[in-house]
Amino acid sequence: MSKLTIQWPDAHAEQVETAKGRLDVARRRLVARSPEGILSVLATVFDQWRDPQSKWRQRFREEFPQASGFSREVAEAGLDLALAEWTGDALRRAVEAELQGTALGSPRWVSPFSMTSVVLAGAIPMPSLLAMVLPLCVRSPVLVKSAARDPITPRLLAESLAEVDPELGRCIEVVSFSGSDAESLTRFLAAECVVASGSDETIAAVSARIRPSQRFVAYGHKLSIAIVRAGTRSDEELGALAEALSVDIALWDQLGCLSPVAAFVMGENPEKTIDVLGPALADSLARRQSEWPRGEISLEAAAAIRGQREEARMRAAGGSSIGIWESEGTEWTVIGEADLEWRPNPLHRFIRLHPLEREDQLPEVLSPVVRNLSSVALAGFENDSERTAIAQLLSQRGAGRVCRAGRLQAPPMDWYHDGLPLVLPLTRFTGLEISVD
Amino acid sequence: MKAEAEAGEARRVLDADILAWMRTPGWTEDEARFDATARRLFAHQFRHCPPYARFAAGRGRTPESLLSWREIPAVPAGAFKELALRGFPEDNTVKTFRTSGTSGQKPGELHLDTLSLYEASLLSSLENLLFPDHGPTRGEARPCLLRILAPSAREAPDSSLSHMFQCLLERLGTPESGFDIVDGELAFEPWWAAVQRAEQSGAPIALCGTAFAFVHLLEQLEARGLSLRCPEGSRIMETGGFKGRSREMPRTDLYAALTARLGVPPGRIVNQYGMTELGSQFYDSVWVDPSGPRRKLGPPWTRVRFLDPESGEEVVDGEAGVVVIHDLANTGSIAAIETADLGRAVLDEKGRPCGFEILGRRAGAEARGCSIAVDEMLAGGGA
Repeated sequence: MSKLTIQWPDAHAEQVETAKGRLDVARRRLVARSPEGILSVLATVFDQWRDPQSKWRQRFREEFPQASGFSREVAEAGLDLALAEWTGDALRRAVEAELQGTALGSPRWVSPFSMTSVVLAGAIPMPSLLAMVLPLCVRSPVLVKSAARDPITPRLLAESLAEVDPELGRCIEVVSFSGSDAESLTRFLAAECVVASGSDETIAAVSARIRPSQRFVAYGHKLSIAIVRAGTRSDEELGALAEALSVDIALWDQLGCLSPVAAFVMGENPEKTIDVLGPALADSLARRQSEWPRGEISLEAAAAIRGQREEARMRAAGGSSIGIWESEGTEWTVIGEADLEWRPNPLHRFIRLHPLEREDQLPEVLSPVVRNLSSVALAGFENDSERTAIAQLLSQRGAGRVCRAGRLQAPPMDWYHDGLPLVLPLTRFTGLEISVD
Repeated sequence: MKAEAEAGEARRVLDADILAWMRTPGWTEDEARFDATARRLFAHQFRHCPPYARFAAGRGRTPESLLSWREIPAVPAGAFKELALRGFPEDNTVKTFRTSGTSGQKPGELHLDTLSLYEASLLSSLENLLFPDHGPTRGEARPCLLRILAPSAREAPDSSLSHMFQCLLERLGTPESGFDIVDGELAFEPWWAAVQRAEQSGAPIALCGTAFAFVHLLEQLEARGLSLRCPEGSRIMETGGFKGRSREMPRTDLYAALTARLGVPPGRIVNQYGMTELGSQFYDSVWVDPSGPRRKLGPPWTRVRFLDPESGEEVVDGEAGVVVIHDLANTGSIAAIETADLGRAVLDEKGRPCGFEILGRRAGAEARGCSIAVDEMLAGGGA
């Protein structure tokens, strides 16, 4: 007699299947809705999230810091800055600009994917907020795998959407399971469209499970930098520059892909600028620590900061002209480097200032990072033609964005994240070569 | 010239004292001897390695100010990538070992003007901690079949690990012993023939190599469906991690697989903790204290401290901290090195440190942000 083995899916896999079943039901109503109506609801939700007094922001304040490890002050400041221009109208304009010419009566229609699975990563809420709602803009229901370090943002966003529009709220399902749970992952990644954020390792693991017939949109880990014009500044100008850079560095504890890991001081006698910018930036970072305390830090990260500080001290002892400005603990560190070499950056508010004599050195300097370069903040470039020339150079080297210092953590709603349009990659189109009503 | 001669003479006296300690059969802890020698060595290195002197003085530490060896400032291991940390004239260099590193990153370099302390230390540690039943510490050395899963010293002249294995082969190896990584590849057939002969003869075998090489070996055995039972008394010594490698394997899984395929029980598998920048190495305690907790032990001319990265102060015994090693075998470079590793003291039943353990990365720890680490990016090759 042969032995019969019945294998039940594990609890998480079963939750994924159940969520998919609910989304399948919700999809039928979603595809019948007008894109304008959906956008209007999402705009309302975003406007609620922008309001610091809304109940969603209050709950976010209460629940997010403990789960994510960021301080409450950093979370609030980061969200305030980033959402300031993420209005409902901005969302509407951004999506409509991309989907122009796809309405009924146009020769190209949006053909929504039956489901979009979104793998979230990390604990910075901004990319999660956007990644969850964009598929809805193209009428695809969304199955979300929340990140281990931020189960809060996806849940609150789903609840806030459901409150404004219960029918649309049923088009988002949030699930949670370990990345090593192969059964759940396989079921989760079976959607027609898959969006994943994460490290190269995570992207590779997800990619290995995607069939050629599926749409796969990946956002890998990146880094950002700042370029500061060398030159003499008044105390006031120097202070403003340092303040702007400290915002870019301190928000999200420098852990995001929009956080600068290095600042290049470009122009004649850059060392002189570093000599005054270093302490000014140190003062600003010290004030940021009082205002926006750094969040939790692992022993490994603290050890890495200590190690990099000690190495800098040793290089200084070896004769290099190195400036070190640091907090008593590991809260913030500014290293004034003597050369252009890329060195490990342990993050958590650790910045290196490099001297860059000439603009034509920039391509070579950026060469090791071009594949991973996200955004570049420019500071102190008052001359339009100089600013344009650098922006062109950065664009040619693959920078995804060029902005002012202090704005790295606040990309506009219509920014092409990793060079990709917002919603076009999340849908497909039906071309019409017949006349229809 | 006179100053140089005096410096050379002072070094010779120091080296002779430390060598005498290393060559004394049987290890005995001697705190007073360690403290006195460490302070003499610091004074010498302070005087003859200017970058180190400036680094130490920046900390307010000079030979005159020290109250104990614990106050000797440790240089970060990464500094060996940036500076030539030697306390002797460059022309006197007889050997330079380089760290393997990853692509796009500079290797660390250890410059030596003599190999005598380096070799005396490594052999003493191997004999006492990995071959206590073979070494001359208990009389005449009894040779052992050694198969080395690493390139030979001729193939990898910059590798301190290959040099160490070469010394071990010369000291304890039988004529059938040898290296099994040739031209960068595992020479499986000769290795398999050698271990099969050992299995048939019943003579113990020692398999030594990098952890990654053992993973590769296991893959070959699995692919060929082969396994064997190494004779009683056999042992495995593995070292190094998986950084920059395509595959990682938790150490417990590696040991279980080695036991299953090679018949060497976990209690006979030893991890070595060492680094190019150090003259001495540390070994798991399983051969000298099979019933005690697995922990790292080192020779009496070394000390290990653990620092709180926030304050730079020593942590309470048993708490985790940055590993700092004081190694008197490093007479030509710097004796106190702050590693990039985390570890903690292992305590005995009375709460006293009796060894230490290295803490690996937290398994499954998920990144909180989406920033790529610069070193990871550089290892990836860039453009």
